[in-house]
Amino acid sequence: MSLKVKHIMNTKLETIHPEATVYDAIERLIDKRIRSLLVLPKDERDVYGVVTVRDIVFKVLAKNLNPHQIKVENIASKPVISIDKETELLDLVNLMEKFNIARLFIQEDRKIIGVVSLLDVLSAVLIERAKNKI
Amino acid sequence: MLDKLFRTGKVEKKVIEKIKKYIHLLCNSADCLLNTFKNYDLEGTYCVGNFEREADIIKREIISLIYEGAFLPYIRPNLLRFIEILEKAFDNLKHLSSNFRYLNLNLYKKIEEDCSKIAFMNTEICQILLLAFESLEKDNLREKNLAIRIYEKKIDEIKLDLIEKLKKLEIQNFWDGKILSDFLELLTSFSDIIEDASDHLHILELSLK
Repeated sequence: MSLKVKHIMNTKLETIHPEATVYDAIERLIDKRIRSLLVLPKDERDVYGVVTVRDIVFKVLAKNLNPHQIKVENIASKPVISIDKETELLDLVNLMEKFNIARLFIQEDRKIIGVVSLLDVLSAVLIERAKNKI
Repeated sequence: MLDKLFRTGKVEKKVIEKIKKYIHLLCNSADCLLNTFKNYDLEGTYCVGNFEREADIIKREIISLIYEGAFLPYIRPNLLRFIEILEKAFDNLKHLSSNFRYLNLNLYKKIEEDCSKIAFMNTEICQILLLAFESLEKDNLREKNLAIRIYEKKIDEIKLDLIEKLKKLEIQNFWDGKILSDFLELLTSFSDIIEDASDHLHILELSLK
């Protein structure tokens, strides 16, 4: 695995404002058929967060709370775990295993520029295997 | 498994080598197109036509050799079908290159990044098809087929995003819109053709067992 994160990261990030409601987040997740949204910082001192389908199901729906009344910032995980784009794929996988997370964000100059999910890792490894001569 | 294919004689071996060359030309053609997209080199797009002409000669030689009696009769139609699918891929690249020459540059600039990504994946997918054909020899086709399917899915995802972007573009001239739409359709359907070819390789593999 000599690949680096920059080779496989997805630069198309779906973001949501921290003050949006959980229902807004649900709509976005369903419309875009994705499992997480990057929560933007509220101001310059704030940091990025992430809200996942897990957060919504366990922290809101399972507790019978109204998703129209709860803000994304109340259930988002903060700060996000981020890495440099030059990180080796193996180190990325180790971090994912260590923190038991399915996606890692890529940071550059305090800005999130991409995301890598477990499925991206799987695809990249399979493609590399296929590219190996015979 | 290729051993099994050309075990019977030199003619079979000749056909296999020619098919490899044919796929190699397709990869060169896709690669050349990627470079012209990157540099917006309109003159460079003519390389696709040159590769296609070269490939046409090889295709005729392959077909002649097969009709002359290379391979067992039950293998021949599958090989010919495989060549026909690759010919479709060449046609796709040729139409793509001519479409590129008529594109409205201002419109293209707005989707250039995604188009280059797809063109790059098209070159990768083509290289994997070549490896897939060579790997028939080692019964190792499954992994190559999967990689081709992964790329095809990735291209489909980008295509969906591109359609969303296109909907927001203001098109003022019918032909600008039509050419751009045709261009994207051709660019994103190359991987479908290669996927068909890879599926056909799988059929070929099964027929040889």
